[in-house]
Amino acid sequence: MSLLSVTLAEPRSFEIWEKLLLIVLVAASAALFFRRFAPILNRILKSRKDPNFSLAPIGKRIWDFFWEVLCQAKVIRERPLPGLAHAFVFWGFCAFALVTLNHFAVGLGLGFLDPAGIFGRFYSYFAATFAAACAIGIFGLFVRRFFIRPRWLGQKVSYESGFIAALIFILMVTYLAAFAVKDASPAASALWWIHSLSILIFLPIIPHTKHLHLVLSPATIFLSRGGFSKIPPLVGDEDFGLVTGKDLTQITSLQSYSCVECGRCTEHCPANNTGKELNPKEIILGLRGYLNEYGPSSEQNIIGKYNSITADFQCTTCGACEFQCPVGIEHLPIIIGLRRGAVNTGAWEDEHGAKLFLALERGSNALGMSASERDKFIQKQAFPIFDGTQEYCLWLGCMGGYDPKGREIVADFARVMNYLGTSYGVLRKEKCTGDPVRRLGNDLLFQQLAESNLETLAQNKVKKIVTICPHCVRTIQEDWKEFGTPPEIEHHSEFLARYADKLPRPNQDDRVPQIPTLKSGNEQKVSETDRVPQVRGPHDQVSDRGVEISPLRPGNDKIVYHDPCYLGRYRDVYEEPRVVASLAGQVVEAPRSHQRSFCCGAGGGLVFLGEETGDRVSHTRVNELIATGASTIGTACPFCNSMFRDALAEKGDAAPQLLDIAQLTARSLPSADS
Amino acid sequence: MKIIVCIKQVPERDAQVRIASSGKWIEESDLQYAMNESDAYALEEALQLKEKHGGEVVVLSAGPERAGTTIREALAKGADRAIQVESDTLNQLDALGVAQLLANAAKQESPDLVLTGLQSDDLGYGQTGVIMAEIMGLPHASLILNVEKTDSGITVKRELEEGWFQNIELPLPAVLMIQSGGTKLRYATLMGIKKAKTKELKKLSATELGQPAAPAAALDKITQPQKQKSTQIISGSAKEAAATLVEKLKFEVRVI
Repeated sequence: MSLLSVTLAEPRSFEIWEKLLLIVLVAASAALFFRRFAPILNRILKSRKDPNFSLAPIGKRIWDFFWEVLCQAKVIRERPLPGLAHAFVFWGFCAFALVTLNHFAVGLGLGFLDPAGIFGRFYSYFAATFAAACAIGIFGLFVRRFFIRPRWLGQKVSYESGFIAALIFILMVTYLAAFAVKDASPAASALWWIHSLSILIFLPIIPHTKHLHLVLSPATIFLSRGGFSKIPPLVGDEDFGLVTGKDLTQITSLQSYSCVECGRCTEHCPANNTGKELNPKEIILGLRGYLNEYGPSSEQNIIGKYNSITADFQCTTCGACEFQCPVGIEHLPIIIGLRRGAVNTGAWEDEHGAKLFLALERGSNALGMSASERDKFIQKQAFPIFDGTQEYCLWLGCMGGYDPKGREIVADFARVMNYLGTSYGVLRKEKCTGDPVRRLGNDLLFQQLAESNLETLAQNKVKKIVTICPHCVRTIQEDWKEFGTPPEIEHHSEFLARYADKLPRPNQDDRVPQIPTLKSGNEQKVSETDRVPQVRGPHDQVSDRGVEISPLRPGNDKIVYHDPCYLGRYRDVYEEPRVVASLAGQVVEAPRSHQRSFCCGAGGGLVFLGEETGDRVSHTRVNELIATGASTIGTACPFCNSMFRDALAEKGDAAPQLLDIAQLTARSLPSADS
Repeated sequence: MKIIVCIKQVPERDAQVRIASSGKWIEESDLQYAMNESDAYALEEALQLKEKHGGEVVVLSAGPERAGTTIREALAKGADRAIQVESDTLNQLDALGVAQLLANAAKQESPDLVLTGLQSDDLGYGQTGVIMAEIMGLPHASLILNVEKTDSGITVKRELEEGWFQNIELPLPAVLMIQSGGTKLRYATLMGIKKAKTKELKKLSATELGQPAAPAAALDKITQPQKQKSTQIISGSAKEAAATLVEKLKFEVRVI
């Protein structure tokens, strides 16, 4: 008997009492499912409507649904083995939709797939293939969950998950076994009943376990807010962010019930990986717990029993969680929403946070320095002032305008622009874009800063901005839209990559001298007469005899490029900075790079918030970068640079040099153009 | 306890001050304004007293219309209501004249406590609070870092020179001039700003409050200060240099 002559055995036709029993069981199972599911659906639908939500562009939503749900692309891409195992289970379920329908129809004597017919036979083989893959897949996932036990799945062993895995396994095995038994035999009937009971037991377990994602996550992915870390506008006089249940929107509630507890967010969270309290998964499950206990119309504060304010403010907004989430949960609007609630109502008390807010209430920059310091820097560098005739407005940002290392980067980038003959100018006055206060949830300050800057840019008729800071790029381009139309903006890596053909190359025969690019006087406040050379990096060797000039580095450096979160995940720019860095040396990759890059610890305003608990994120990352053996760490964000500068300070001679991509390029310029 | 906090709007700390063409005042058109720093501490002290002991915090400010933004900020931070003595010609008065206007406005409220900042960041006379106390016939104390309410009145902590402090008791009502840095300031919140919109802001015209005294001294000319820099390079090994630096900071500059 050839394999293809095997057909799926069907049970003998049932007695009337068996049919009645089946109907009663199906009805009971379905009733139990809806009894548990209805309150959840009700809580989601009773949540506040999302302001400014629109289904357009629908094409992108359909594509995301096709790619992420049907193709399981994200599930597989980010964790290939478990991802594939999951995909087989998912595809198995899809293939089984028709089989299951037919299965119950057979029980009632209404079977529509003839196991011996052409389509029926073909489909049963088709489903059997998936059944085998699904059984292997679920077995693999079972082994992973109960024997390999990755940390991010949590400490608690979920017996329910084991039970469900067993049910799925039984479903597949009973289906496959039906090929091996005779039609209308007692064995066929037994298999049929075991298969049916497994489904009927499985159904009511779905709503109160993570398996709810079967029902909800396709909708969650389709109904995303659109855009990465998209922070919804506050609406009306009573909206201060996520304060109570009344502030939870339908999308937020839907997302919190969709969590499948896979822990990918936890696995990639820089805070969680360095011993902090924050666990993005618990933030989402906390909302679910809140909704289950209090519901969406409660005035009970969310922060409290189900949410820790300490954890909320440990987030660097690196977005690894949101990027990783396979069921479409957008963690950033939620975490930032909780911060908004705490800050806008004054519930968050933090010495450093208050200092930052007061500095920006009273002054122009997040570093709390006098605006005249920026004026002096501009004068000393002789930067042209933007007057509307130049092509680019060079936006300095807080780091570029006030931070010593940030200034070096800006000065080097300006030299490269001079070399390329690009016309640019800087604004006389510039305020912080509001990035740190936006991410910390201070909407009042953010609005003031955004509006004030938008006005300045409009007055100066700025059409195109270029800046060294990815945080400025993101905030100006996306977040300011709430208050006006920002000019076109790009990051200097994008600018430099466009001119890659024209950029200077290091002379491979010689060692490339480091040219001090800051013009005299910017490095510190000293008079012209008693000035000492001051351009120093953290890699400079300091001995008891004083400061030595750092050794000249060869042009064929091994450069490890660190992807800044706000350039990579937020803006999808990965290749441009690598193109630029590769002109200066050989680019090597850190274990976590591109979309999986590990944060430097500065984002989300955290650079301004004092001591961290646990390990420092920047130290963890720097150790990883050093371990690549690269002689240079290449950065593209002044905040990353600042964090690494501090982390490298304790490495002594082992520290690689730390340079922004603009500096890597400027090293090869023919001479300082003073 | 009813507390009046006197708040002045001054040019923002970062402001590039230019001298007006008259040479007798600064160019105001391109300035941005903020709350005087020590007044912000006075407000904070008042809010903390109210949080502990109940009562009302009333903001009192003399200034042109633009001072309204600073008053709203104070209301946003938690003051209950505000009184603005509106006048465009206050810069023609000296500390006596302004103190007369403020004292007359304050008297109408019969407060238990009047707090002012130690001095203004712009003119820096440091006189207004003291004169107000004289006019109102109330006891006063200056350079106050902390206020505690007692059964009979208040105990205040004064900052003296050379790191000394003095704790003194005063009866109520009293006038206190608050020094910066005694406590931590709170930040303005969105909720506070929205609430402030509905709070009362009573405007009094300067003329309603009686004729203020003519200034005793006239402002003749305003000039930018001469820029001075003196830098010393300390030589020697890191250890020696650090020791010398500490010594200089301690005994020459006297900042540590």
